[in-house]
Amino acid sequence: MTAVIETEHLTKRYGRKTALSDCTLRVPAGKIVGLVGPNGAGKSTLLSLTCGLFAPSEGRIEVLGGRPAGTAAQLARVGFVAQDAPVYAGLSVAEHLKLGARLNPGWDESLARRRIDRLGLDPAQKAGRLSGGQRAQLALTVAAAKRGELLILDEPVASLDPIARRAFMHDLLSFVEELGVSVVLSSHLLSDLSHVCDHLVVLAGGQVQLAGDVTDLLAVHHRLRVDGGGLDGRLPAAARVVHTERTVAGTTAIIRSPEPVPGAERADLEDVGLAYMMAMEVQR
Amino acid sequence: MIWLAWRQLRTQVLVAVVGLAVFAAYLVYLGFRIRHDYLADVVNCVPSDCASSRRLFADRYVAQVSLLGLLLLALPGIVGAFWGAPLVARELETKTDLLVWNQSVTRGRWLAVKLLVVGAAAVAVSGAFSLLLTWSVSRYDQWAGDRFAAMSFAARNVVPLGYAAFAFVLGVLVGLLVRRTVPAMAIVLAVFAALQVVVPTAVRSHLLPPVSSTVAFNGEAMQHAHGFGMSPETGASIVGYVMPGTWPMDSQFKVFNADGTPYTSTQSRQCMTGTPDKDFECMTQQNLHFSYTYQPGSRYWPFQWIELSAYTLLALLLAGVSFLWIRRRVS
Repeated sequence: MTAVIETEHLTKRYGRKTALSDCTLRVPAGKIVGLVGPNGAGKSTLLSLTCGLFAPSEGRIEVLGGRPAGTAAQLARVGFVAQDAPVYAGLSVAEHLKLGARLNPGWDESLARRRIDRLGLDPAQKAGRLSGGQRAQLALTVAAAKRGELLILDEPVASLDPIARRAFMHDLLSFVEELGVSVVLSSHLLSDLSHVCDHLVVLAGGQVQLAGDVTDLLAVHHRLRVDGGGLDGRLPAAARVVHTERTVAGTTAIIRSPEPVPGAERADLEDVGLAYMMAMEVQR
Repeated sequence: MIWLAWRQLRTQVLVAVVGLAVFAAYLVYLGFRIRHDYLADVVNCVPSDCASSRRLFADRYVAQVSLLGLLLLALPGIVGAFWGAPLVARELETKTDLLVWNQSVTRGRWLAVKLLVVGAAAVAVSGAFSLLLTWSVSRYDQWAGDRFAAMSFAARNVVPLGYAAFAFVLGVLVGLLVRRTVPAMAIVLAVFAALQVVVPTAVRSHLLPPVSSTVAFNGEAMQHAHGFGMSPETGASIVGYVMPGTWPMDSQFKVFNADGTPYTSTQSRQCMTGTPDKDFECMTQQNLHFSYTYQPGSRYWPFQWIELSAYTLLALLLAGVSFLWIRRRVS
């Protein structure tokens, strides 16, 4: 299967600070990819590198087989909605669509119009007066109507309230199906993504902690209650403890093992993602 | 892309056009008035009254002409600060660069179109103002005969186009580097003001090597000078001599004898009788001369073109740096 994003030893430094370090990753096509990690994990840096907003300090990145933002044709293949969905405050909704139409050869005017209608946005409204959710929808419409092959959304719901989050994600899911594109969306909350994504990348401390299809990940991760005693002897040979957490209710371990773990239940996606992020925190 | 550049510039251009229209109306009115008064007071003056009517003509317009010149001098700086500096800096500040640089237009092309569209507007506005002012006050300039003066050289004919192009691109580049609109505006104004002081005082007179010629110290020379001075340190010199239409490189020139030795106070005392006219006639007969260093009047246009080219070249250079920077570094 072809990859939408392929990186090798990708590193990005801002002055002395390393935002992304030696990141090797392969994101397959045709997926809705959730990129999750705590604040400052390097999510925005990775997505900005994917859009070619700046060049890597070291390593290599290829998006849809080309250099990010290398040519106008490459730009046309990738739609990007930046964090906080920036739009031109002084331009109206209709003018944003006109901007999209003038600047993108593959612009799908009817798709954009339909979507604006369905969302109930007033075309004459200045974008600066839209609510956060409406602004995110407008930015997404502009990014989607250029009809690229990959749509990248950086923290699309970070500024939305819980109800608007659900609505946005639900709408996105059906929209993506209609577009037939690969999607990468990031969030610091796995709960935002767990219902929509079918491929997960966990980023923490500037490095990839976990990457894989959701079904594969769920198949090999188990949650085990550890009631007193140790784990020794209870695990199959190939198993590895990702993270152990103590709470008032007892101690639970998230275990990665290709074979079944006796007495364990299936871990859900939030458990798994969180375990890898926590494990990274502990290491630090 | 041109549509977007125009859409973002629309309001500013409308303001500039309205402002320019008001100015244009005033300049046309002023132009006709100066022409009328020039004919009446300078060309067709009553011979007995000519000296005073000519002076009155100049006095009547000196304030307007200087103020308009100052305004035109400031205009490129204003254009650079208000059109140039925000061009990229505002996009970076509002993060709309993340929106527009992810459309199917490369950053290089985006910058090129914006530089061309907005830059052309900036140059056009400054050029229109300059040509109008040049026409409007041409009779006054003719009377003043001082085309090389710092104020009138930089505020007439073609050089303001170069200043506008330069100040605009400077604004864009500084905005790109500083990434903040207001500090970028301040830097552009400061740099442009500094250049407008340094170039006329220290650079312009060296654009072409000055010419020297020997001028006889006589009544005709004194008509074009402020006076004659004698001091223990510098010796004898003619002060403020300007050969008509030329640009003197000094404010005073040493006076020499025919054999090339400096004119001394002993010699001048020989002519002191107490009657100024007779004294001067006596000095004239001493066969004195001075060496006048200047830029000839025929160099006015070469100087205009040289300065225009230099600023245009600088503008192109800064534009080149902007392109490199926006491709490699930004965001």
